[in-house]
Amino acid sequence: MTIDFGAVLPYLPVMLKALGISIEVTVLSFFIGSVLGIFVYLGRRSGLAPLRWLAHGFIEVFRNTPLLVQLYLIYFGLPEVGINLNPFWSTLAGMTLNNAAYTAEIFRAGIESVPNGLVEAAGALGMRFSQTFRFIVLKPAIRNVLPALTNQFIVLFLFSSVGSVISLNELTSALADLNQRTLRTLEIFTIGGILYYLTSAVIAGSSRLAERYLFRW
Amino acid sequence: MSTPAMILAQDIHKRFGDLEVLKGIDAEVDEREVVCLIGPSGSGKSTLLRCMNALEKFQKGHITICGHDLTGSKTNVNEVRRDVGMVFQSFNVFPHMLVLDNLMLAPMKVLKVSKAEARERAMALLEKVGLVDKAKVYPTKLSGGQQQRVAIARALAMQPKVMLFDEPTSALDPETVGEVLEVMKALAEEGMTMMVVTHEMGFAREVADRVLFMDNGVVVEQGPPREIFDNPQHDRTRAFLSKIL
Ligand SMILES: Nc1ncnc2c1ncn2[C@@H]1O[C@H](COP(=O)(O)OP(=O)(O)O)[C@@H](O)[C@H]1O
Ligand SMILES: [Mg+2]
Repeated sequence: MTIDFGAVLPYLPVMLKALGISIEVTVLSFFIGSVLGIFVYLGRRSGLAPLRWLAHGFIEVFRNTPLLVQLYLIYFGLPEVGINLNPFWSTLAGMTLNNAAYTAEIFRAGIESVPNGLVEAAGALGMRFSQTFRFIVLKPAIRNVLPALTNQFIVLFLFSSVGSVISLNELTSALADLNQRTLRTLEIFTIGGILYYLTSAVIAGSSRLAERYLFRW
Repeated sequence: MSTPAMILAQDIHKRFGDLEVLKGIDAEVDEREVVCLIGPSGSGKSTLLRCMNALEKFQKGHITICGHDLTGSKTNVNEVRRDVGMVFQSFNVFPHMLVLDNLMLAPMKVLKVSKAEARERAMALLEKVGLVDKAKVYPTKLSGGQQQRVAIARALAMQPKVMLFDEPTSALDPETVGEVLEVMKALAEEGMTMMVVTHEMGFAREVADRVLFMDNGVVVEQGPPREIFDNPQHDRTRAFLSKIL
């Protein structure tokens, strides 16, 4: 069989649709997971010891076990205790929790990079802790770790391919499927790789734009 | 009839671990009075100032400021800080906000002032510190002297009853010190109650009603500037002044 990209082009819409699912699950898990990550970080610095232990344990567990294992537990394990999530929700749950553990550490670095003088100045103006965090600390902290957050976003996007093992119809799963139907392995996975690459490049580019327009000061 | 003091500190003791930094400080600032606090580095001036708006806790003694008692653990520090403006050596302007937003944020979030009113107040204050043309600029684009004037205006936007200054000109290039001192002098002339930690003896001499000399955690002597500068009573005061003047 000769290499013929033309033969697989008709399947491009199928691939793009699957890519859409990859992007959807990544974007949702990144944003929900990042908000959760802020709370995990706050838990780590809480005055209540049990909250600190809980947050610390959460980070340890999710950063030191493979996402694949976490996903198996959610999709195949949870039904045994009566929790049934479909492939999409399972993947979303796994990626969200995983992302929360990683971003909690990134936010910690970012928040510690904000000069304490700014926090004191806000306090001296009578602002409460929550106001100081929201209006004074958050934006400079995010700017300082934007490259790390972007990297995490891209890694998360590439990891969304694990959804294929529980038959979520995302891009990798669609590629495997088309590969079996057409037997054009080289063409199918080359195009798939390019789609992953281009999407990652768009994410990296958006981050640089955000840096220039949202975080310029 | 004498009005109660704006700031009254009695027998303040403060330690960081084993290090006793304040060893029984008594200090008083009356309404409309300007008190300058001088003394060698490490003598506890910043710590005393920070105790007055509850940025630091102290172990023993009493402080009342603008009618708030800081001694009880039940005092709401945020309510105290609404009445007490503070200006830091390192400016601490919010770098991610326009100058105007630096001035509007706390009045809107803490005092719940409307946006329109906060803006009006902010512009009036920028006028006062000579920075109207910088309203829509990020503070990182400003010189140190300009940033410190923004910080002063930001504190004034809360309409405080007392202003605390902690070496407001020590981090500035010499050529921008004057513009900050001018703003502070104008504030004093308007009758603001002020406590100023400073090494600017010219300013203290001209503007202060009283000067406190602190060394090693105690107030060594205090009095009108002419007495302290021209006729100090203690060797430690003399030694300090001979080094700095
Ligand atoms: N947060 C802190 N922890 C421990 N020691 C401190 C702290 N802040 C100040 N000190 C110490 O307290 C002493 C007085 O400091 P400070 O009040 O800043 O003096 P000044 O403002 O007169 O230079 C110094 O010896 C300083 O090292
Ligand atoms: Mg100091």
